[in-house]
Amino acid sequence: MQLCGSVMWQRGTNISWCSSSLSECFCCVTRSRAVLRRPGYDGIYTVYEAIRERRTFVSSMASLWSKISAILPPTEEQFPLQFSDKVALSVVEMLKRARQQLYGDATSASSRILTAQIILDYSWERLNTGTWRHVDKEWRRVYSYGCLFKAAAICRRSPSEEEILQAIRTCDMGLLMGAAIMENILQVIVRILQREIRTLAKEEDAHENIEAKKRKIASPHVGLIKDELSVPRIKCPSLESFNANYLLPLKPVILEGIIDHWPALNQHPWSIEYLRSVAGCRTVPVEVGSRYTDEDWSQTLLTVNEFIDRYILNEVQDSESDHKAVGYLAQHQLFDQIPELKEDIRIPDYCCLGEDDEDDITVNAWFGPKGTVSPLHQDPQQNFLAQVVGNKYIRLYSPEDTEKLYPHQSQLLHNTSQVEVESPDAERFPEFVKAPYLECVLRSGDVLFIPVKYWHYVRSLEISFSVSFWWS
Amino acid sequence: EDSCVRLAGFCASISSNESFSPVTVNTSGCQDAAISETHLTLALPGRIESWHGQLGHGGLISEEEPRTVEALWGMTMRSVAAGGWHSICVGGGDLYVWGWNESGQLGLPSRGLRKDEELHEEVFISIQAFPALVDVSPSCEISTVSCGSRHTAAVTTGYLYTWGWEYGQLGHQTTSSLDEPQCVEFFRNENLHVVDVVCGSWNTFTAAVKK
Repeated sequence: MQLCGSVMWQRGTNISWCSSSLSECFCCVTRSRAVLRRPGYDGIYTVYEAIRERRTFVSSMASLWSKISAILPPTEEQFPLQFSDKVALSVVEMLKRARQQLYGDATSASSRILTAQIILDYSWERLNTGTWRHVDKEWRRVYSYGCLFKAAAICRRSPSEEEILQAIRTCDMGLLMGAAIMENILQVIVRILQREIRTLAKEEDAHENIEAKKRKIASPHVGLIKDELSVPRIKCPSLESFNANYLLPLKPVILEGIIDHWPALNQHPWSIEYLRSVAGCRTVPVEVGSRYTDEDWSQTLLTVNEFIDRYILNEVQDSESDHKAVGYLAQHQLFDQIPELKEDIRIPDYCCLGEDDEDDITVNAWFGPKGTVSPLHQDPQQNFLAQVVGNKYIRLYSPEDTEKLYPHQSQLLHNTSQVEVESPDAERFPEFVKAPYLECVLRSGDVLFIPVKYWHYVRSLEISFSVSFWWS
Repeated sequence: EDSCVRLAGFCASISSNESFSPVTVNTSGCQDAAISETHLTLALPGRIESWHGQLGHGGLISEEEPRTVEALWGMTMRSVAAGGWHSICVGGGDLYVWGWNESGQLGLPSRGLRKDEELHEEVFISIQAFPALVDVSPSCEISTVSCGSRHTAAVTTGYLYTWGWEYGQLGHQTTSSLDEPQCVEFFRNENLHVVDVVCGSWNTFTAAVKK
């Protein structure tokens, strides 16, 4: 039987050839048009990426390990394991054992996974001891190495779709809780794994699109905003006029038209289906509970798919509670975790009026259903709140009126008001109704400038996705 | 010492600086003390005092000074033990537990340990902010307790009970964590009478004599 022998991928001296029979393989159809592409973000040369989707499940899984081992250092000696003496020697021994198992062939999958799990469990305990601020970065690196070894062990031998999702979850834990290792290799691995999942999911896509159309979001009935209390709006102001009229005097304003060019509003409009396709299997932190000042407020980790099913579309009933719990993907640096989404947004030009480098600007995602509430609070930096999907009701109070807002006394919540803005307790907080405020409904395409320390209260009026930029 | 507990080392809660010379904590009549990486618990006549970590005061805030665990006020506590994220003490033959229970280390139902089908039935406890009474074995007095990082061991009249996180430290020849105290059958089978137990972070050491 003659084998195809076409080059599948190549990196340095490592080359992989198509080993399908010449008569069955699709390569031969297009061999004359074969092109060796330059490496992309993950350093892989792929030749027949379009054809690969039509390969059998088994052969495409076999090449998954090839792709992963292609981005790992070629030999055990070249695999770095450097740690400060904060990391106990016994742990370093465990890491070396995991490395040895990675490059050896003799170990069983369960042994590899056990070694990785021990590294994960031990460093996990260090990560959960004391305050997060004081956790040594070395332990977070160890945790990331544990995630790397575990993901590699899972993907070694023809993993099922469920196992690939498990490996993605493992990498995400490393990205969320660990610290970057080996030039952010976990990010590279996730990209490879996501590609595999997408290949497998292609057949299910057509069916989903029909369902998606049925879920069109109905426009909410929005209460009237009184004119004299509304936040001023301005369309595409110049840098100078924004600086003079709003930034220097620290006055809030809604900037219109300044994110019209975002791919999130044009080429890749952010919809539930799009978010599922780009980030569905990725693990993210979710806040559960009506507001973060409540006693039963908590945080949990879910995949984006689970979050959408349970809290956005409310398809999964929570049998424990009579009313539906609110879940909010809030204050998360999603765009560091999922670079594809970062390409759909831009840092507003007006941030250049600040002192920060672009890298120091904190970009957070805020994605949730109707009814998410951020209690009245203030932040220590300037904020551009860009509304991408849906509408939010926002109320603003000046820092000059802080005494009328009754901030909590505790250290943890001293930047948060005790007052429930939309139903204030007049007996406990009599001065609150006297405090002047501005309000608005922030719509898709709007950007609200919240000056530093300006008190703000936010409630979503429908399914909403906002992006905030904290700068100084 | 008779009347004082001396601490040396990194005391993050007592002062904000590292302390490398002994610091005296004024606690007269201290009968027992347990220390773990996160907190310190003292057994004093008639009360338990704890601070910094898994405290049993009903909240999740660190305490800078020793504070009496009010729920146990007035009861004579014989011994106390501290794990990575939980504490236990023994008084009047009973066992009291508080702290984190994500691995079942308190011996109370833990959500993470149950399969999906069982999730709708019980009340699960992930954090026990106040001391709770745990039944280790029917009508048996507890003589010694010890805590590991995320597991607990208790000696009754000659038997050893373990529960919590499992990497082999529970000694039940299985690999699953437990959220209920379970007797370690090995000693019964080998006709051994357990007299003492001490836990390391991820292991358990027992002293036993032939019956």
